Amino acid sequence: MIELKKFSYWYPGTEQPALDRVSLSIAEGEFIGIVGANGAGKSTLCYALSGFVPHFYNGETEGQHTFNGQDMASLDLGQLAGQVGLVFQNPFNQISGARFTVREEIAFGLENLGLPQSEMRARIDEALELVNIQDLAERSPFSVSGGQQQRIAIASILAMQPRVLVLDEPTSQLDPDGTRDMFTALNKLVSTRKITVILAEHKLEWLATFCDRVIALGGGKLRAEGSPQAVLSSEQMLRLGVGRTQYSEAAARLLRTKQLPVTLEQAKKALK
Amino acid sequence: MRGGSIYIERSSGLHWLHPLTKVALTALCFASAAALPGLPWLLALFVGLLLPLAIWGRLTGAFLKACLLVVGPFVLSLTIIQGFFSGGETVLFKLGRFAFTQEGLLAGLTFAARLLVALGGTLLLMQSTPQPHLMQALTERGFPPRIAYVVLTAIQIFPSFQDRAQVIMDAQQARGLELQSGLLNRARLLLPMVGPLILGSVMDVSERAMALEARAFSSPARKTSLNTLADSLLQRAVRWLLALAAAALLLWRLWSALQ
Amino acid sequence: MNLRVEGVSFRYPSGVLALDGIDLAIPSGQLLAILGENGAGKTTLVKLFNGLLRPSQGKVYIGDWDSAEHTTAALARRVGFLFQNPDDQLFERTLAREVGYGPRNLGASEAEVKRRVARALKLVGLHDMAEAHPYDLPQPQRKLLALAATIAMDTPILVLDEPTIGQDEVGRGAISRILTDLHRMGRTLIMISHDMDFCAEHAQRMLVMLNGKIHVEGTTEDVMGQTKKLDEAEVAPPQLVRLAQALKMPGTPLTVDDFVDEYKQWRKKKKSK
Ligand SMILES: Nc1ncnc2c1ncn2[C@@H]1O[C@H](COP(=O)(O)OP(=O)(O)OP(=O)(O)O)[C@@H](O)[C@H]1O
Ligand SMILES: [Mg+2]
Repeated sequence: MIELKKFSYWYPGTEQPALDRVSLSIAEGEFIGIVGANGAGKSTLCYALSGFVPHFYNGETEGQHTFNGQDMASLDLGQLAGQVGLVFQNPFNQISGARFTVREEIAFGLENLGLPQSEMRARIDEALELVNIQDLAERSPFSVSGGQQQRIAIASILAMQPRVLVLDEPTSQLDPDGTRDMFTALNKLVSTRKITVILAEHKLEWLATFCDRVIALGGGKLRAEGSPQAVLSSEQMLRLGVGRTQYSEAAARLLRTKQLPVTLEQAKKALK
Repeated sequence: MRGGSIYIERSSGLHWLHPLTKVALTALCFASAAALPGLPWLLALFVGLLLPLAIWGRLTGAFLKACLLVVGPFVLSLTIIQGFFSGGETVLFKLGRFAFTQEGLLAGLTFAARLLVALGGTLLLMQSTPQPHLMQALTERGFPPRIAYVVLTAIQIFPSFQDRAQVIMDAQQARGLELQSGLLNRARLLLPMVGPLILGSVMDVSERAMALEARAFSSPARKTSLNTLADSLLQRAVRWLLALAAAALLLWRLWSALQ
Repeated sequence: MNLRVEGVSFRYPSGVLALDGIDLAIPSGQLLAILGENGAGKTTLVKLFNGLLRPSQGKVYIGDWDSAEHTTAALARRVGFLFQNPDDQLFERTLAREVGYGPRNLGASEAEVKRRVARALKLVGLHDMAEAHPYDLPQPQRKLLALAATIAMDTPILVLDEPTIGQDEVGRGAISRILTDLHRMGRTLIMISHDMDFCAEHAQRMLVMLNGKIHVEGTTEDVMGQTKKLDEAEVAPPQLVRLAQALKMPGTPLTVDDFVDEYKQWRKKKKSK
């Protein structure tokens, strides 16, 4: 569905590539996690996978970059918008401000897609429920708490029902239950609607529990790729500044196994 | 509250009117401001039309206050300037070499009244219409959405600047900046305020532009709207009448000027 | 310095009742974590500590000061504040000036300002970039910069709203070291966080909020053990506590060391049975 082949990208006026010869192939219906230290290139990769690189950011690219077999550079953001959704890292700037209430704010994207009213209403109600903010629907999207604002930002993109959903640290302001619920909801979308979800996160436990595949970045390069357990339990994560779950850390001190547990279930099994 | 606006929420008939009806009304106000011949006419329009509308919209206090705030300074400066410098026979009083004349006073007041009528109409429109609904009404009539968004955020920028300014002011105080009255202190405040305000908005612009794209803003699809703006045959008729009246006024003015 | 909140309620002008009858005493030198679901009222509560919000009802005392009698700027001598959104507080041209802004306002000498700036930037690991522009840093680094600016004010009380957001292991490590240092120096530390693993490891006491009220309060071990109460407040315990519960192990291990010890003991006991 999305393919990068030896893809490099330089932000305008920089010497160091932000992405350095990254090769990656993403199939429909995959749930993919991206990990990496701050500055490793997670956000840039998110922009590339959603087409904002090269369409919004200028700068140099090298290598291949295709979406459904078409060269990404030949498509435009307007066409991509209905198919690929991007949730940004910082919730504070994602509110369009073009509308008054949370409900209307979520509608903004749907209006741009030209959906009929009845369809919009159904989608908005569904999105509000998915991120659990039904009770905020008639409030102003500006006078809410940090976590509530992040939920609004996510709901606004979810309602657009893109085939590919890219999320850049979407749970940074969410409470623990909210984070788990968000992952559960995304997982459900992947299995029922066969959408593709790509998610950059520091919260390793939830990546480990829900993702099909994890990609580790370091200094703009792809450093590891594979099943969550294989990637996240390795010592390399410590060197990359990603860290490991406390399940892995505890088990590392207690067990001699080839592959350390990374989730609660795995840890429970290993330590029983 | 961030992202607030001049709009004042009330449940009233004026609020409920279709935005374009109010736009037509505002157009009439502008035409009147330009075309009506003298002070009595202008004041009559204000007292006879705008004020009753404000009362109908349950906005009387807010409307008068805003008029005073916006037009007040003009009234003052215009009357002073015109009073002293536009000449005339009837001297009211003298300040050194300068004479303040009745004709000048009248000219100044008339000019201010023109402003009052034009701005009053605009204020009434803004206070009784959520700006997004106004933009929706315009885009539904073929106004380009991109321009609508820019206009919209420009209108909202003042209040959102204010909100943002508040947030930043909070932060500076939390870092020991004393917010006392006194001109010098206020001036000292300016830099730490303006810095993040401008920086913030520049940063915001690129991030916001991106966030807009993510919301399919440049999608080729024909845009739709969540809410249908209530309209009626009567309102359509009234709109046409208002527009005609405005055009007639302007034409009449042009014709009498040419005479 | 200690801090007391007596019978405080707060309502936003929009009508939302964000705090509802809060009584709280935080003794000097304590490291307290405030937890609770989104919108529980955490940020609202701590904004009362430096007067950014004023209680609709009740009193807040900072040491021997009644906060109602002091401006926010005056309270800033006693309470340092890290905002949830760092962009709300950054405005200078360079990192060094940014960090120096607070101390300068509080009347520190130029030499003193310099010293504090250097130390604070070093603490958060940004000393190499002292002359860079704050907005050249990505968001997580801006948060660290804002933290440095807060530390440089040298206040007896520090309030940190979500310090670990968006931080990788390195950033979390830096924040963890800073907290430990400040705690050792006897500062009163109040942090809001959703990062349960981090809170469990560092906080002495915890306060869980729910719908503008205090739902539970106590030592970290005590609070983390109250599964039912936490569940009601929609707060999930940290990984190690959940693992211990899943294994039906007794105790509430808060750090990996704790867990390893308790696990070994538990196994030994099981075997000897
Ligand atoms: N500026 C505001 N105007 C009106 N209501 C507000 C404002 N800010 C917050 N609220 C409301 O007050 C309540 C408490 O919000 P607060 O920001 O204190 O929550 P929080 O616990 O810090 O949440 P989070 O974890 O999401 O940051 C919420 O219901 C929120 O919607
Ligand atoms: Mg908060």
